[in-house]
Amino acid sequence: MSIAQALITGAMLGGMYAMMAVGLSVSWGMLRVINLAHFGLILLGAYGTYQLATSWSINPIVTIVITAPLMFLLGAALQWIYDRTGLTEFTSLLVSFGVLIIIVQLVHNVWTADFRRIDPAVNTYGTKSWFVGSFVFPYPRLIAFVFGVVVIVGAWVLLQRTFVGRALRAFAEDRDMAAAYGIHHRRLGMLLAGASGATAAIAGMLWAMSFTLVPDAPFEWIGIVFAVVILGGIGQVLGTLAAGLLVGALYNLAAVLWEATASLLVVFVAIVLALLLRPEGLFVRRAGSGRRRFWARRGRAGQPESSPEREVTAR
Amino acid sequence: MMRRGLIGFPLVLLALAALAVFQDTLGVSLYYITVLATLFFWVAQATSWNILSGYSGYFSFGQGAFVGVGVYTTAVLTSKHDWNFFLTLPVAAVLSTLLALGIGAVAFRVGAFRGATFALLTLAVPFILASVARLTSAIDGGQGVSVPVPELPEPLGFQQFLYLVMLVIAIVAVAAAYAIQHSRFGWALAAIRDNEDVAEALGVATFRWKMLAIAVTGAIGGVAGSAWALQFGFVQVEVIFGLTVPLLVIVMSVLGGRTYWLGPVLGATVIVLVEDRLAGGGYESWRPIIFGGLLALMVIFAPEGLWAQLRARPLLTGAVGAATLLVVFVAGIGDVLDRIVLTMLVTGVAAFWPLRLLPARLRRSAAAPPTPVADAPASEPASPEPKAEVVDALATDVAVSKSGQDAPLAIECRGLARHYGGVRALDGLDLQIRQGELVGLIGPNGSGKTTLVNLLSGAVRPTRGSIHVAGRDVTRLAPHAINHAGVARTYQIPRPFESMTLHDNVAMAIMFGRKPDSLARARERATEYLAFVGLKQHAASRPADINLHQRQLLEMARALATDPKVLFLDESLAGLNPAEIDNAVEVVRRIHTSGVTIVIVEHLLRVVNLLAERVIVLNRGRLLADGDTQTVMRDPAVVDVYLGKSGRTVPANDAGGEHA
Amino acid sequence: MRVRARAYGSAVAAAALILAACGGDDGDDTAAEQEPETTEEGDATEEPAGEPSGDPIVIGSTLSLTGAFAPTGVIHQIVGEQFVEQLNANGGLLGRPVEWRLLDDESDTAQITPLYERLINQDQVDLVLGPYATPNIIPAVAVAERAGYVLPHHTAIHAPLLSYGCQFPGWSMDPQPDEYTSRLLFDLLASLPEPPSTIALVTNESGSTQPMTQGFEGGGGMAGIAAEYDLEVVAELPYPPGNQEWSSIATQLRDADPDVVINNGLGVDPVGIIEGMEQLDYRPGLFFSLFPAPGPLLGLGEAAEGALSVSLFEPNEPLLEQYGDEVRAITEDFSQRAEAAGLPYTAFETQATASWNTWEILTRGVEGAGTLENQDVCDYLVENGVETTFNGQLTFDPEVNNFWDSNVGIKQIQDGEWVMVWPEDRAAAEIVPPEN
Repeated sequence: MSIAQALITGAMLGGMYAMMAVGLSVSWGMLRVINLAHFGLILLGAYGTYQLATSWSINPIVTIVITAPLMFLLGAALQWIYDRTGLTEFTSLLVSFGVLIIIVQLVHNVWTADFRRIDPAVNTYGTKSWFVGSFVFPYPRLIAFVFGVVVIVGAWVLLQRTFVGRALRAFAEDRDMAAAYGIHHRRLGMLLAGASGATAAIAGMLWAMSFTLVPDAPFEWIGIVFAVVILGGIGQVLGTLAAGLLVGALYNLAAVLWEATASLLVVFVAIVLALLLRPEGLFVRRAGSGRRRFWARRGRAGQPESSPEREVTAR
Repeated sequence: MMRRGLIGFPLVLLALAALAVFQDTLGVSLYYITVLATLFFWVAQATSWNILSGYSGYFSFGQGAFVGVGVYTTAVLTSKHDWNFFLTLPVAAVLSTLLALGIGAVAFRVGAFRGATFALLTLAVPFILASVARLTSAIDGGQGVSVPVPELPEPLGFQQFLYLVMLVIAIVAVAAAYAIQHSRFGWALAAIRDNEDVAEALGVATFRWKMLAIAVTGAIGGVAGSAWALQFGFVQVEVIFGLTVPLLVIVMSVLGGRTYWLGPVLGATVIVLVEDRLAGGGYESWRPIIFGGLLALMVIFAPEGLWAQLRARPLLTGAVGAATLLVVFVAGIGDVLDRIVLTMLVTGVAAFWPLRLLPARLRRSAAAPPTPVADAPASEPASPEPKAEVVDALATDVAVSKSGQDAPLAIECRGLARHYGGVRALDGLDLQIRQGELVGLIGPNGSGKTTLVNLLSGAVRPTRGSIHVAGRDVTRLAPHAINHAGVARTYQIPRPFESMTLHDNVAMAIMFGRKPDSLARARERATEYLAFVGLKQHAASRPADINLHQRQLLEMARALATDPKVLFLDESLAGLNPAEIDNAVEVVRRIHTSGVTIVIVEHLLRVVNLLAERVIVLNRGRLLADGDTQTVMRDPAVVDVYLGKSGRTVPANDAGGEHA
Repeated sequence: MRVRARAYGSAVAAAALILAACGGDDGDDTAAEQEPETTEEGDATEEPAGEPSGDPIVIGSTLSLTGAFAPTGVIHQIVGEQFVEQLNANGGLLGRPVEWRLLDDESDTAQITPLYERLINQDQVDLVLGPYATPNIIPAVAVAERAGYVLPHHTAIHAPLLSYGCQFPGWSMDPQPDEYTSRLLFDLLASLPEPPSTIALVTNESGSTQPMTQGFEGGGGMAGIAAEYDLEVVAELPYPPGNQEWSSIATQLRDADPDVVINNGLGVDPVGIIEGMEQLDYRPGLFFSLFPAPGPLLGLGEAAEGALSVSLFEPNEPLLEQYGDEVRAITEDFSQRAEAAGLPYTAFETQATASWNTWEILTRGVEGAGTLENQDVCDYLVENGVETTFNGQLTFDPEVNNFWDSNVGIKQIQDGEWVMVWPEDRAAAEIVPPEN
């Protein structure tokens, strides 16, 4: 298999990882909540897609019209709970873990522990590919990639350009100051969490389209998705996309050049090395770079922070 | 005190061991022995995890790596190479300690590995180990490894054997946690948790302590894993290196209370026993839901951990607990474990129950005042000492001399520079400060004052140039070493250790400063420093309870307590009203009189005029002026920089009291 | 509001825990009965041979009802419930009713030992049965050995690992499973009109499947035995358990283009592999998978037609006629229960058969020995073997760890159904050879 093909397929897989990771990354970075229940929402989205496709033969992609709003509401509701109970970052990790366990069991109770897969008659993308020259783009992967890119880039644009986006970023940087400017943190938090939930529904749909479902699936996802989140820089939307693509490409490359068993080894060793070089995260801007440098050269006073290391999160 | 406490552990060990050895005679069901063996395993894991992650704040997701190393060491050595089981235990300890040190060497060297990046690094390790094990047929190769049951010493059965091994490991783990918490080690970790950079600047050798902590975690985790291999009988990579262990130990420790040695024990007990009762209850479809819900509720209502919750109302929970225990045993509800779980939960409810719903009399007796984290008797100073004696007591062995050319050099910088990318925060500075001087360091914003202080205290490495403190080259030393060489500093925005009292904040500095001392003696000496800055009456308060001025004074006291030769006061008077400024100036004078060389970074020119005999002016990273106060203040270049060209018509004088 | 919320929350937590504690309120009595979820008592299809009476005999075991192994664990749960009901409808065991105390081990190997200790020492069950999946069965065997209990189990085929004299497998692939399976498959391949000459081995690196490729003590296994049949191994592709990414493996398969793709894998591995190959527009001549979950492969439709796997039994019409009405009734009953439980695939096949064998070994052993004393039951079984509905007479030879001569055959997907095709004397239909 050519290396180019391995990279392409891997990057497309990475689009799926990025899609799963972006909601988690954003809640963590902006709401200071490490929401493990996000994986539960992905699971619900996946089973929702499965059920709609199976009972009413709805095209899987179309199912997000129903599942995304549902997960939006659920995400917002969970955020409301986290907010009212005043959780810190680490306590939110534990509480959301409890919620995740509950969701997994509920899914288990409703759909049994047995394997579930969308009928190929309904999921026509399952076994087809787009052939370009000697390159293969399997449809499920391609769709996952396209969705991943569109949703994430779209999110980035929203955060940069719209008022709501700016409000969210201000809120993430300094909650109290933002409040002083009239930014209503509770509503904004719920909006953001709801949006994360919607992305979870989409990620779930992509998963259901490509894989067989079991209730326990979230525990397989946690490792890689966390790696993508932290590597891309917590709260950095584009960084998450880049990290996802990178992890996916590396994963596949390792499977091709070495063996499938070695993929995770290579990915995590690479992550360790990458962190050694850029401990703040691969795609995070270092303080004193970019804009500051620009102004400094023009003689404007701008005392850089006394230490160049930027703590990504408070302990 | 610690020694007294430690004696308790062997006693507990003997009592619990007797439970298993005489299990038949005592009528203890073998099943309870099994449950307890599992409990001891988790107590050992949670406690060892907590030593690094709870005490120091470096949350590790890699506990599974240590357990995995332990399990596989025993499995491979006993089944593939016919080793005696007991010999594999020390090997497992050594291997997992080496792994821990390896992780630490990588993670702790790089200053930015904190919080999430540290978590990711530790998360990566089990995945890496799992793959390596799977790829190497000498270890696992994908086939899995069976673990034969070792030769059991008569008359022990397998479960009793496992129980005893786990018991010993658990007791050692908890005793270690106890000992650490009450020792310098524990204090160092607590300081690191609260504010690592400050701790480092106060003389705490943070790297060393963190390495020690992770080594202990690894060793205990590995040995406990070693014994746990027996429970499996057949080990497979995906089972051993999964996420179960890392997540559960975090849950147990945070639930129980991260900062206290007993916390993980509590957390592990609650989780293991509840899980056990749920397992037998026939609630298959509901069990994880109940567990998840309980977990969420417990964390929501006890965010500081169960221990803190129990600690806050010892009388109420103690009474309720005892009463419940009596009732359930007399009524004979369920079996022993059921009764214990029932008692635990009723006590837990009593701990969480909002006080407002209780009648007033019960309320008062229920709540106890918050006690400091570690129980050590506060030292009793005989009487407030008059200033003169204090000054004498604090006189350093450095000769106090007025600024004269013959006084030895306290600080010498040659060609000192610090660049941040293209920004030259400090651009080639030559500076000499002699012992006994009180130097003002001023300059407009962005001139490099704070950078200079950071460089001289070691928080930042110079890009070029050298620094000598009292003749010793400290350019490449770690901040704590520079502190031991005689440099101390305060922070512009005070950064006390929030979880400790003022008394302990200062005691910390003495414990790890230039003349380190034991905790008890450090606490005695700390009182003197607090008195020196006028904070003695607040010794038992927390930093959160005092105002800005007092926090700044605390900063000074703490820096002073490291017994420095040179003290850098970084805008210690910012934000004060005139009365407070006068008081602060008094304190600074006193410090100077006691023999400490002082460099005071200030914007308040009035203060600089009052205090400093010599003033250094920086501008844009370069030295602008250096000389006696009056001359420098009138220097047109200096006035330019502060007030602009038009300022030249306004003479700078004391009465102005202008801010720069 | 905050205050009341805390009070309310505490009360809820308290209630939940009280429920839990009281639920575990077994004390010294034997445990509460596990009510079968689907049907009611006494729903037999034949007249009762006599009402069982007296104290119930309690049989204890664990199954993976949640967690990674649950998809198969649930099958064993249904079979067990069905068997116990049928048993009680036909006079029980030794004239007494039977209760099944089933605990969930959550697919967690570390829980097996404590749970079986609990069943034996705390709940003091009379008899035990094994859990699901090899890594779980091994510690259960150890517990049974210590307590001197007989342990029949339904899915550990790794004879070399199981040396306890009183463990009895319900599913045997011979004392040398890697040899047996290799020869079974390779004999089939050799019998085809145009025998294949190249194979690829795609192996799940886990304890139950990896030895099939590599052999148990090195050598042996399909990789080693292929040469005897003049089969060339053109690709060896291992992958970790739980792997979801098949594009690289599929591509390498396409490039190697073997006559037969042999997937020594589990669960839904073959689904991913076939799908990966379909995406590349590649279909090998023949595809074999060792321990797939049967349902999902059928769900692939046309792409999986012709796929092969091992089987103890398939409910194919010709076979049902051969076996008789009793077997037919059993398979139909199971299908109904499985449907009621909401399972997507409801056929009574290999896993269920193994389970049925196991229950028969235990109960017929007890009946034969005439006592609940485990040692006597063990001796009886070793001496006399046992007659099973689906696998005939089983004999247990401790020399080979009680692993009876296997009659595992091979099934093939034909027209969307699994059909036994080998060996010829037990086949329901002829094998459909690969198109050329």
